[in-house]
Amino acid sequence: MKQQFQLVFVLCFFLLNSCKENRTSKNSKLETEEELIERALKIHKKVLTLDTHADTPIRMIEPGFDMSKRHDPNETGSKVDYPRMKEGDLDAIFFAAFVAQDIRNDKGNSRAKSLCIQMIDSILVSIERNSDNVGLAINPQDAYSLEKEGKRAIYIGIENGYPIGEDLSNVETYFNKGVRYITLVHSSNNDLADSSTDPKGSEHGGISKFGSKVVSEMNRLGIMVDVSHGSDSVFYDAIKLSKAPIIATHSNARAVTNHKRNMTDEMLRLMASNGGVVQLTMLANYLREVPPNIELDSAIAAHRFKMKDIDKMTDEEKVFLRKEFQEINEKYPTPQATVKHVVDHIDHIIKIAGINHVGIGCDFDGGGGIEGVFDASEVMNITIELVRRGYNEEQIAKIWGGNLIRVFKEVQAISERIKSDSSA
Amino acid sequence: MTIRWLIISLTLANFNNLDAHPLRLSLCEIEYTSSTKLISIHLKLFLTDVNEALLFNPKSDELAFCQPNEPIKANELLLNYINRFFYIKANGKRISLKIKRKRLSGDGENTALWVYFELSQPVILESLEIKNNIFTDLFFDQNNIVYIHLDDESKSIMLNKKTAIHKLEF
Repeated sequence: MKQQFQLVFVLCFFLLNSCKENRTSKNSKLETEEELIERALKIHKKVLTLDTHADTPIRMIEPGFDMSKRHDPNETGSKVDYPRMKEGDLDAIFFAAFVAQDIRNDKGNSRAKSLCIQMIDSILVSIERNSDNVGLAINPQDAYSLEKEGKRAIYIGIENGYPIGEDLSNVETYFNKGVRYITLVHSSNNDLADSSTDPKGSEHGGISKFGSKVVSEMNRLGIMVDVSHGSDSVFYDAIKLSKAPIIATHSNARAVTNHKRNMTDEMLRLMASNGGVVQLTMLANYLREVPPNIELDSAIAAHRFKMKDIDKMTDEEKVFLRKEFQEINEKYPTPQATVKHVVDHIDHIIKIAGINHVGIGCDFDGGGGIEGVFDASEVMNITIELVRRGYNEEQIAKIWGGNLIRVFKEVQAISERIKSDSSA
Repeated sequence: MTIRWLIISLTLANFNNLDAHPLRLSLCEIEYTSSTKLISIHLKLFLTDVNEALLFNPKSDELAFCQPNEPIKANELLLNYINRFFYIKANGKRISLKIKRKRLSGDGENTALWVYFELSQPVILESLEIKNNIFTDLFFDQNNIVYIHLDDESKSIMLNKKTAIHKLEF
C-alpha cells in the first residue's frame, strides 16, 4: 500500500512538472525573442495602461514648456509629454500636483493652497489646449471611454496633504477641481500625518486627529487615500480609519529593497485584505541597493588627490575640472536599475499579496526613470518583461490598470453609500 | 607615497556617488512685502550637491556649514558659486547678494542647506527677473522650483538648464 502511494506520488510529481514544462516551452523554447516581443506589444496595446504617479505638473510650470511637443529626456530630463505617452502606449496617467512642505501656519497653508490650485489649473489648461489628444478623467470608466476615442486619460492627484492646511472644506474644493487621490504626506510631517523620511521622527504617531477627519472626508467624496511617503504607522492608521480600500501610488517591496519608503510583507498582506493596491515605482534607489563601483571610486579619489586647492582655482579651471570628473563618471558607469528589478518587486508583491493588489506608478518627473523605462515612451518594456516571466494577458491587464480601477470603483461605491446613509 | 594612498583610501571611504538622493531638485522662495519694503530669498539646497559643486566631493565636511568650526572661506565659496548660477533683478537691476544666515535641516542623504538673503526694496516692485540654473553644471536634469510670494499672491515656476531665466512683471 505504501509502495503504491509512493508510485502515485512520483507519477503526479512528473505529470505536474511536465505540465509546467509545456507552459514554459510554449513561451520560451518555441517562441523566438521577436515573437515574444510581438506578443507582449499586442497585450500592451490591448490592455488599459495606467500610471498612477507623475510629477509632470512641475514641468507644466516651466515657462514655455509645451506638453504637445516631444522632448528629449537626455537633454532636458523631462520624462512625460503627450507624444511620448502615445509612443509608449500609455493610456492613462495621474498627474500629481505637488507643493513642497513649508511653514505650518495660516500664512503657509494659504500659500500652499494657492500654489496647489495654480498647479491643478496648469494641468487643466494643458488638457484643454491638447483636447484632440487627451481628456480630463474623473471617474474610473473615463480611462476606457477616452481610450476608445483614441485619447490619453489625464487624472489628477495631490502629492502632500499640506495644501489642505487645517480647513476640511479644502478637500471638497480639490475634489471639485478633479482631484481623485491625495497623498497624505510627503518628505516632512504635516498637520495630517507623519512622513517616513522626516528626521524629527513621529509627531502624531501616524495619522493626526485632523488627518483622520480628512480621511473620512475623502471617503465621503470618493477620493482615494494614498499612503506613499507616509510612515509605517500612517499605513496602519489608514487601513483602520478608511472605510474604502487604500492605495500606495508609488512604493515598492521592502523585502526586496530595504528602504523605508517601501512596504513590508506584513503591510502587503494587510493591503491585500484591505482590497487596496500597491503601485510599483521606478525610483532606482527603491528598486535595488546601489552596487559598489570600486573602479569609479578609485578613479575619482585619485583625481581629487591631484586637484589644486579650490581657493586658488579660477572659475574656468573649475569648469574644466567638472568636465574631467564627468568624463570619469562616463568611463566607469555604475550599473543602473533595470526593468528586471521592477518585475522582481512585482513578483514579490504577487507572491505575498496576490495578483489583485499590484500596479504601476512610475514617478516620472519626480525622480523615476531607469534603464529600459527611462521615460513614458518606454513603458512597454515592463510588459515585455512580464510576458517573458510568464504573465498572461489577464494578469497583465490587472497589473497595468485593472487593479487600480477596481479600487477606484470601490472608493466611489463607498462614497455613494456614505452619502445616501447620511441623507437617509 | 604611503601617506598619498592613505589619503586616497580615506577619501574612498568617504565617497558616495552622485546617486545619493534621487531628486535633482532645489527650492527657492522669494518673498516681497510692500509694507516692510523687503525682499527675502530662501534657497534650499541638498548639502551633498553643495559639497559636490564647491569641493567636487559630495560627502566632504571641509566647509562644516553651520557648525562652530565653519571656516571663513565657506560663505565666500558658497556665494561665489551662487552668483555664477543665480540672480534676481528687481525692476531691471541686479541685486547684490549677501548671506544673512544659513541653517541645516533633515539628515543623511536628505540634509538640506538653507541659505537666506534679505534685501531692501524701497521702490515699488514692478518686475522681477530670476535666473536659477543652480547645479545644472552637475546634473543635466536638475530642476529648480521657485515660489514667488508678493504680499498675498503666490506663484510657482520651474527653472532648469534649458529655461534658466524668467521675468515676471506686476
